[in-house]
Amino acid sequence: MKNRLSPYYPLLPVFVAYFALFLVGRNVEGTWQLVATLLFYCALGQAFNIFLGMTGYVDFGYVAFLGVGTYGMAIAITGLANFPQLGLGIVAIGFVLAIIMATLLSTAVGAVALRLRGAYFAIATIGVNEGFRFLIEGANLWNGSSGMIFTAQLNEILGRDLASRVMTLWADILVLFIGALAAVVTLLYMKSKIGYALTALREDEDAAKVMGINVTKYKITAFITSASFAGTVGAAAWALKTPYVFPPEVFEIHYTIEAIIIVMLGGAGTLLGPLVGALIYGVSKYYLSIFLPGVQLFIFALVIIFVIVTFPEGVVGVIKRKTRNTAIGQYII
Amino acid sequence: MLLEQLSGNLIQGVVLGAVYGMATMGLSLIFGVLKVVNVGHGAFVMVGAFVTLFFFSSLGLNPFIAIPAAFLVGILLGLAFYYAAIKKLLNAPELATLLATFSAGVLLEETVKMIFGSEYRGFNWDVGKVDLIVTALPMSKIFAALGSVAIALLLYVWFKRTRAGSAMRSVVEDSHGARVCGVNVDGVYAMSFALGIGLTVASGVLLTMFIPVGINPYMGGGYTLKAFVIAVLGGLSSPYGAFFGGLVFGLIENTSYTLFAFIPGVEPFSLTRFLSFLILLIILLIRPTGIIKAK
Amino acid sequence: MSLLRLENVTKRFGGLVAVDRVSLEIKKGEFLGIVGPNGSGKTTLFNVINGVFYPDEGRVFFEETDITRMPPYKRAPLGIARTFQIPRPFASATVRENVAVGAMFGFQAKTINVEQSLEIADKVIERIGLSSHGNKSAGVLTPVEKKLMEIARALAMKPKLLLMDEAMAGMHPGEIDNMVKFLREVAQEEEIAIVAMVEHIMRAVVNMAEKVIVLDYGEKIVDAPTREALSDPRVVDVYLGKGAKEENAEG
Repeated sequence: MKNRLSPYYPLLPVFVAYFALFLVGRNVEGTWQLVATLLFYCALGQAFNIFLGMTGYVDFGYVAFLGVGTYGMAIAITGLANFPQLGLGIVAIGFVLAIIMATLLSTAVGAVALRLRGAYFAIATIGVNEGFRFLIEGANLWNGSSGMIFTAQLNEILGRDLASRVMTLWADILVLFIGALAAVVTLLYMKSKIGYALTALREDEDAAKVMGINVTKYKITAFITSASFAGTVGAAAWALKTPYVFPPEVFEIHYTIEAIIIVMLGGAGTLLGPLVGALIYGVSKYYLSIFLPGVQLFIFALVIIFVIVTFPEGVVGVIKRKTRNTAIGQYII
Repeated sequence: MLLEQLSGNLIQGVVLGAVYGMATMGLSLIFGVLKVVNVGHGAFVMVGAFVTLFFFSSLGLNPFIAIPAAFLVGILLGLAFYYAAIKKLLNAPELATLLATFSAGVLLEETVKMIFGSEYRGFNWDVGKVDLIVTALPMSKIFAALGSVAIALLLYVWFKRTRAGSAMRSVVEDSHGARVCGVNVDGVYAMSFALGIGLTVASGVLLTMFIPVGINPYMGGGYTLKAFVIAVLGGLSSPYGAFFGGLVFGLIENTSYTLFAFIPGVEPFSLTRFLSFLILLIILLIRPTGIIKAK
Repeated sequence: MSLLRLENVTKRFGGLVAVDRVSLEIKKGEFLGIVGPNGSGKTTLFNVINGVFYPDEGRVFFEETDITRMPPYKRAPLGIARTFQIPRPFASATVRENVAVGAMFGFQAKTINVEQSLEIADKVIERIGLSSHGNKSAGVLTPVEKKLMEIARALAMKPKLLLMDEAMAGMHPGEIDNMVKFLREVAQEEEIAIVAMVEHIMRAVVNMAEKVIVLDYGEKIVDAPTREALSDPRVVDVYLGKGAKEENAEG
């Protein structure tokens, strides 16, 4: 029955979903924009889940990592615009820079805040995005509050054709790969000591310590992993897709709210949850914006309270519980 | 010149600080009694600001009449939210109440947006000025500060002199012990949550005296952050610690604003907000139990 | 060589002295009973031994290494395991996963992988009689099953020292007898020293112990071989007025 690949079966529904999304977007006229949005939500949820879902800690300043990732790409493109011969290499450097900046910020925040327990951690993070935004604006870093626009540089580096294809198609496909990669990493973590340690500390941090788990180490691991993915999401979905960056936009708490809704709705700490949450959220937001414009957040705030009170394990959490020890169960974790 | 400006700002800081302090007491009360962090705090402040706006602009009434009205609105909101969600989440992981209060904040913002729209509004309650040589203070701000002190004193008396108040204190000390001694802990939870929200909404009335054109459904976010800095300064679970934390924070904010203004090429307003975030991190790092000890 | 040695350990909470200059020593494979009424400082003593609290004064040695200020997560891999008075399962994880966490981060933490941990978990679960619950969430177990699971989790750590906080409270006499028999076997096989903390002088536990320590208001008032300890007049004193005379007589 058991074979060496069976631990990886749960990735199957994830990949199938991504592939289906891609096919729909490419083949059904006029759906790519919606698909691109859904891919962004999938990647955002998948990345956030590695921290919120696996540790049970909530980071209200999570969007800051997308923000610095966007800046990472922006800095690479504007800084290296004089070396157009590097071409796509500059984009690669941008991703590296995005990861480095998100890692640095998450290490700094994590080193302070992850020593703190639950509520105090949440309080410490609530101002991270605003704090960083005000640092950029206040100290006039990277053009301060005027932001950076780098469409011209992107055109110069990649040539007009490639640049426009990057903006309209490749950026979104990159986001798809980031989301899928985040899912793979999530599963690898789940199956390794890291996953066991995170489950233990999420359920009972003191007991976990006594069991020999260095909780700070594992929390920071999850935090930095999650933040790096967020950084690449920012670099691809924001900087490459729309080559400009303004501090108030990329540090907008709104995106943290969306990430929370996606993860909680789908099922915090499950592999498939963020994807399911992203699809439910993205599609319903799309239709709400057509039929009931302006009330999406109102409805989702109600939904999130409802989910927390009635089924905190989320959609996939419930399915996972119901299908445990069945044939379908081995695909859903 | 600098000295004059600083001392002027000091006075402004104390006046604003008193209001900040009062605006944080509800947050600390709720954390102290229920161990629930109200992450949607700022949205409740915003509701208070809109109540004031409604009283002043639509009904033409003195904004101070809005205080009891806002308090009542807060009590009702608090009770509704407590029984709809918080009560069921008290034994759930901390994540649950954090996300629930956060969502409640979003819910309030969106509700107010649907009713009043999202543009900035304001009103001007002109009751004269006092000239203090180094600075001029509008009477409205002085009234707000005095109102804050009065509410803080009322709360103090209520805590010390009423049965409900002492029941609340006993739950803060030791909720298990209080239950054993026959205190209706569940009732105290509901009452404290309602009172905390009531105070927070009422504080929104007083804060409007400082933001002539800053009333907006999304104005709360900044106050949430400030309130956490203040609450943590005061030890997070003590309403009086919070009040003094507010005074200290008001002074820090005004002083840093003045000093940053002397550094060329930076934006003092933004840097001050960054500084308040930095203070939060530093206090949490060195002394999460608070700098100011007050009971 | 002693396995665990406490030298004049004192722990205060504000003005309250929870543990007052307690010294004790346990050798490899020994069974020590710590007896004391509620509030006598037993749990605090455990917390000092496994690092949840650091003592205000005194030192703690494990295999002659000073571990007084070593964080708890570093003590588990040395071979210190513990169960809690009120069981603390990782509720959303299965029983099997719970026990595997013990194996993974316990004494063998450096050399063991996830699969091996799960194999150990299966063995320990079977031995303690929870096999049929292996794939259930730990949160849905009965209180007694949770206690068993905690003991399994602790044993999976392959400890040299097992601290048990009221491990048998709430069990029926028959269950207690089985548990005692089981612990004796395992402890002998794997040379585990056990420190069992009990509020009342439980016949089963005390009979199993080679040595008994009695705590009263944080102070060690008796430290003697079991027989002697039970006939000590000070022990009777501690339990007077609590209706413990009968229980004492029972032992």
